[in-house]
Amino acid sequence: MRRHSLERRIVSPLAGIAAGFALASLLAIVVATAVARPSTAVPGAVFDATHLPPLLTLPGERVRLVYDVHCAPDGIEDPERGCAAQGVVHIRSGANGQFRALPLEPSSADGIRQLTATVPEKIAADSEGFEYYAELRGADDGERLLVPGGGADAPHRSLPLLDPTDADLGRHVFGEARRGTRILEAPWGEGPASVGLEPGRTFPAIGATAFDVDENGSVLVLDEAHRRALRWNRDGMGPATVALSISGRLADIALGDDGSIYVLESVAAPARTPVVRRFDAAGRALGVVETAERGPAQLRIGPNGPVVLQRPSHQWMPVGETNSPIEPREQRRKARAGRPVRSGGEVVVLRRDGGILAALVSNGKVQRSWNVASDTPLGEVQLAEPIGRRLLLIVRTFTDSADEFVVLVLDRNGIVTQFSTPTDEWAEAAPLTRFRIAGSRLYRLGSDSSGVFVDRYDPGAS
Amino acid sequence: MSTRHSFVVGLAFGIGLVMAGSAAGYHTRFIADNCNSAPPTPTPFITREGSATVALRARYEGYQWAGGCWNDNDRDDSPNDPHEDPGTGGEGGDCSGFTFKVWRESLVTSDAGFEQWGMLRNVHGPYTAAAFKAGTGAPNVTVSKASLVKMDALASDGHIGLIYATNPDGTDQIIEAKGEDYGTNIWTRAYRGNSSYTGVRRTGWSP
Repeated sequence: MRRHSLERRIVSPLAGIAAGFALASLLAIVVATAVARPSTAVPGAVFDATHLPPLLTLPGERVRLVYDVHCAPDGIEDPERGCAAQGVVHIRSGANGQFRALPLEPSSADGIRQLTATVPEKIAADSEGFEYYAELRGADDGERLLVPGGGADAPHRSLPLLDPTDADLGRHVFGEARRGTRILEAPWGEGPASVGLEPGRTFPAIGATAFDVDENGSVLVLDEAHRRALRWNRDGMGPATVALSISGRLADIALGDDGSIYVLESVAAPARTPVVRRFDAAGRALGVVETAERGPAQLRIGPNGPVVLQRPSHQWMPVGETNSPIEPREQRRKARAGRPVRSGGEVVVLRRDGGILAALVSNGKVQRSWNVASDTPLGEVQLAEPIGRRLLLIVRTFTDSADEFVVLVLDRNGIVTQFSTPTDEWAEAAPLTRFRIAGSRLYRLGSDSSGVFVDRYDPGAS
Repeated sequence: MSTRHSFVVGLAFGIGLVMAGSAAGYHTRFIADNCNSAPPTPTPFITREGSATVALRARYEGYQWAGGCWNDNDRDDSPNDPHEDPGTGGEGGDCSGFTFKVWRESLVTSDAGFEQWGMLRNVHGPYTAAAFKAGTGAPNVTVSKASLVKMDALASDGHIGLIYATNPDGTDQIIEAKGEDYGTNIWTRAYRGNSSYTGVRRTGWSP
């Protein structure tokens, strides 16, 4: 009996090791075979379109709708063997009534195939603006593409600025930026109060890609590399850690009015679109919803819940209401040109050559608008937020060797406040996450080689 | 320790042994099994439109440091490649290899001509992102960032991406091979105004 027991003690683990070895090897072979399966060299069809919508126009402007259309046939690798796409624009004055079809004419610019249409003068001059969507077809296989994807249910909207307030920034003077008051900082690293940099060969480094501030002044910094957020209270005490079940890649973050934490991820699973995840204040997962389009760019909180700026439509779409997710089809149907703001209404922004057009919109009508001109090139609009009847507008200005953010407070008469801040972007963050406003305070996320920080400004003081 | 317990412990040990061995020698066979070294086809007529097609076919196909071979099945056939390793044999280009192939450049840096590389031709080309940023090579020049158009590039010392579209908020849609955890895709980026990025143009396009 004792001898049998001893044999079993020896034989059983050995048998286990052998079985484990065999099982894992079999699995490895199956996986390797699947990965190594030769792939086809046959290229698929290409059919994609980009369009920069004239969200806002000035009086008397000729409005031309331009669609860059990329179309290549299935099975032919020669990229110069494109296919001739065609299409129509369905357009109407204002936001009601029948759409009428406007043929799109083939054209090209810089070697890019385009379909274009000039908006009839009567429609372009309508005081309520116009709505439109394009229906494009690849000539070879008849594939149909709606731009924007919501078609007649959620067309693009263009609004005229009948009497915009002019604001001329002139030529920007670099080197006079304000640093603000440093309210928190955290070093790069692995500790509980440190912020992580994403692994891999990324230059510049990627880390702390977004932040948000609640109405009490508590700051939440997304530490996506560690799959968590760090929270500092209004007195700068912290950070407390909030573990989040996220992908660990570049993302945006927004705090809901009920304390919910929303995270917009930027990388999707194969054949899917990116997701917005919802967590409670302690980090417990409450839900997840896919975005309607492939390239969501920005996450904010609207009057009824989280809203996402989506690409390629450039439309704002709600992804949740009263704590319930909104599915992609419904997101698309509820798409808007402007960002719905918590105080009601929408803010619409269009950066174009030489400046920015901005409007506060309510019930589909422009309430106030601005035409901001600049002799120095302007980059992305980081923030456009109504403060009462004023507008806080933050835009990057740049040359080929320098860049700063310009903070503007605009009112009916023009510029009330203007100052600039450094960009401080040693590590890459999500593209439109550098500023947040809470109450009357402005907060800026920055980083340098030692870590991440948040500076606070009072935009009321010039 | 019971017999069953001993067996389970042994089983786990065996699986662990194999997994550790696999991880140490991990590489995919994507390049070995799929890619080729076929010569490029010189071609006198190359448009930005055609380069957009090359780029769109690389979309969703993954990222491989120092790589430059992909198919067009809209998925990364070698996902989860280890980071920091140019020899893992996976699908996709890195940022500069992707740009080289999309811009259809020559391996000879003094040659500004156009050469069409097949998707499955494994080629990275002679340029790093920093070299593109400096305008190195006969076909490449630096240009003002404010003047960039579709299929021009924005390059830093460590990364390069191609402009696919401009957005109403002043950002750009950039098509780029971003990294192992990101693959190759189109994302909204604010590279244009960022002073660490320079505008780069491939010259000689057909109208």
